[in-house]
Amino acid sequence: MLTVASLSRRQLETRLAGPGLLVQTGAFVSRIRSPIRHVADGIALLYGDYPIHGEDGFADFHVGLQHPDGLRRWYQPQVNFDLDGQLPFEPLPEAHAFPMLEWGLNWCVSTRAHAYLMIHAAVVERGGLAAILPAPPGSGKSTLCAALVNRGWRLLSDELALFRPEDGLLVPVPRPVSLKNRSIDVIRGYVADAVLSRPVSNTTKGTVAHLKAPADSVARAHETARPAWIVFPKYEAGTTTSLTPIPRARAFFRVADNAFNYSHMGARGFATLAGAIEGCASYDFRYSNLDEAMAAFAALEAPR
Amino acid sequence: MAASETWRLRPGQTLQYRQWDGECILYNDLSGDTHLLGDGAVELLLTLRRGPATRAALAAVLQAEFDLEPAELDLETDTLLHDLQHLNLIDTLAC
Repeated sequence: MLTVASLSRRQLETRLAGPGLLVQTGAFVSRIRSPIRHVADGIALLYGDYPIHGEDGFADFHVGLQHPDGLRRWYQPQVNFDLDGQLPFEPLPEAHAFPMLEWGLNWCVSTRAHAYLMIHAAVVERGGLAAILPAPPGSGKSTLCAALVNRGWRLLSDELALFRPEDGLLVPVPRPVSLKNRSIDVIRGYVADAVLSRPVSNTTKGTVAHLKAPADSVARAHETARPAWIVFPKYEAGTTTSLTPIPRARAFFRVADNAFNYSHMGARGFATLAGAIEGCASYDFRYSNLDEAMAAFAALEAPR
Repeated sequence: MAASETWRLRPGQTLQYRQWDGECILYNDLSGDTHLLGDGAVELLLTLRRGPATRAALAAVLQAEFDLEPAELDLETDTLLHDLQHLNLIDTLAC
């Protein structure tokens, strides 16, 4: 199958500005339309390994990043994110266009993919077993995820754990890892060949940059994984690395608190999450040193 | 509450639950909520799943399971029945 990298820069821009670029990210195909250079830059840099479909192909999400009409097109230009012609968000400065695409694609999945139980969590896999890292912003989840996927773990997602109710397996949706503020330089220093998008400052999340997903994770985006560990990470400067078991019932409610659609799914959501909790060992994880964190994850044993 | 009062599981409740390490989580089919329950509440619900039962019979279940003092048993039984009724998990049968 063709990938984004098979297109010349001109072909990429022509598709984006015209019929749209149909990109496959795991289980989803998005048709992306945008004449904005920052969007083409981000896609060219970070999406080279992703499969593309012909312009007549099926897409789950039809999204656009366009300049609003009016004078703002010329004076301090802005960008709108649209889904099927609807504008769910306020416009942002044009320079925020690529992060806005990433946030918008996450939003498309988290508000529509109700065939899955969706948790706000990073997911990484090793040997067929997945570690799920649910955590609020500021917990160090993405930094940890970025480090893990560059130390032998496969990226399933930086933001979305998708549990398939039929069998309880995790469905990958590997996309670039969103890094914020200090973690951008931390990962630059930790991952020698890190490919990062241009940092964009003054966003609602501070300065953000996106880390390219490993090519192997993109190539294996059709491979599901069995949930084995639920790890609630918390970065605390100067703290000693520690992994503390959490009783299952308590872990259940904490994961449910991080779900996008647990209530929406009703009894099916309960059964899916209960099955996942039953098969997993759950921990609180405190860390301040990435090498120690990698060692702690490497030492995780498969739950019985 | 009268000892002869008869309790039942609310129609529509299927009692999807999991018990781990002495704690129970239960899905409430009527409200869509998920509850964290103690052992006593679970005993009462499982008893009522087999069919309606009087307060006296339910108190006897708790007594057999937890070996409570009489005053403590009365209070525990009434509190649990009240709480489970409040959650729409159980109700009384009309005479």
